[in-house]
Amino acid sequence: MYTVLHAIGGYFLLLVTLRVLRRRPGAQMTPFEFVLVFLMGGIIILTTMDHDHSETNAVMGVITIGLMHRIVAYLRERFELARSLIDGKPLVLVQDDKWQDLAMRGAAVTDDDVMASARTKGIRTLDRIKYAVLERNGAISIIKKKQ
Amino acid sequence: MPVSSPTHPVEDSVSKVNDELAVGSDLKFQQRWWKFERIIWTIFTIFIALNIAGLFGRGPLAKARMRAADGSIDVHYERIERHQSPSVLSVQFGPNAIHDGKVQLWVSESLIRTLGNQRIAPQPETSALDRGGILYTFPATTPPVSVEFALQPASSGTANIALGVPGMRRVSAKVFVMP
Repeated sequence: MYTVLHAIGGYFLLLVTLRVLRRRPGAQMTPFEFVLVFLMGGIIILTTMDHDHSETNAVMGVITIGLMHRIVAYLRERFELARSLIDGKPLVLVQDDKWQDLAMRGAAVTDDDVMASARTKGIRTLDRIKYAVLERNGAISIIKKKQ
Repeated sequence: MPVSSPTHPVEDSVSKVNDELAVGSDLKFQQRWWKFERIIWTIFTIFIALNIAGLFGRGPLAKARMRAADGSIDVHYERIERHQSPSVLSVQFGPNAIHDGKVQLWVSESLIRTLGNQRIAPQPETSALDRGGILYTFPATTPPVSVEFALQPASSGTANIALGVPGMRRVSAKVFVMP
């Protein structure tokens, strides 16, 4: 029973903690994000499994986390508010040749981050960017200016 | 016969930037979210500070001491324990507790059961069930004489513990075991 409760608690704790981190781990897995994901995961595993290393306990833990994921995925698909709370919303970082300062500061994104994404699209300078959007998954989408 | 899957028309349901780029951004929502983030991190910071102080166990606020009025025992313990986390409860005996090279200590059953006593150092010479607890006898010569109980609570909740030397004043305390 405790494994199930610990797994549910651990799932929500990780979900909330990762969600309130300004830089969202996921699409941009730098060492900065790897440290968080591995360390937090390791800590939660210890308390979820407790001292019970049986297969029953492992199966229950895995099934519980799977079920939590299904429930959260259902809520996310069904309700716009749940989607916004769980995934956040896209943020426009560059628009009409202007940095959107509020969005940049709020999301803790720097011009270097935007330029790194721009290079993957073959863009060499910032002035060739028409729009830059920080997506829900943490990736930065770049839309080029027309030639 | 092929099964027809339901369909519905594609609509322009995602809000646009400059009437040309469908992004679905909502800066107002985002600002409210950042405010919520600040509140959460304030709460997390308070939790960390309280934890360092020992309010959730294993810190200065968790450490406690109780002394029998007649000076027979002086107990150092943790008033806030943690589930499955090891800790030590030590009992120091006063000179008036030692008789004929021996010292006896009665402890309530809650110390054994709820707080999960694992070991006693030194090992008692004898132990016997006695009035809802256990009576231990240790060989002892001259003070200072002390005994240590290695605890590891098996469950969370509140435990009322009591200790004493037979025929002398007992001490008791409430211990909270964090989940």
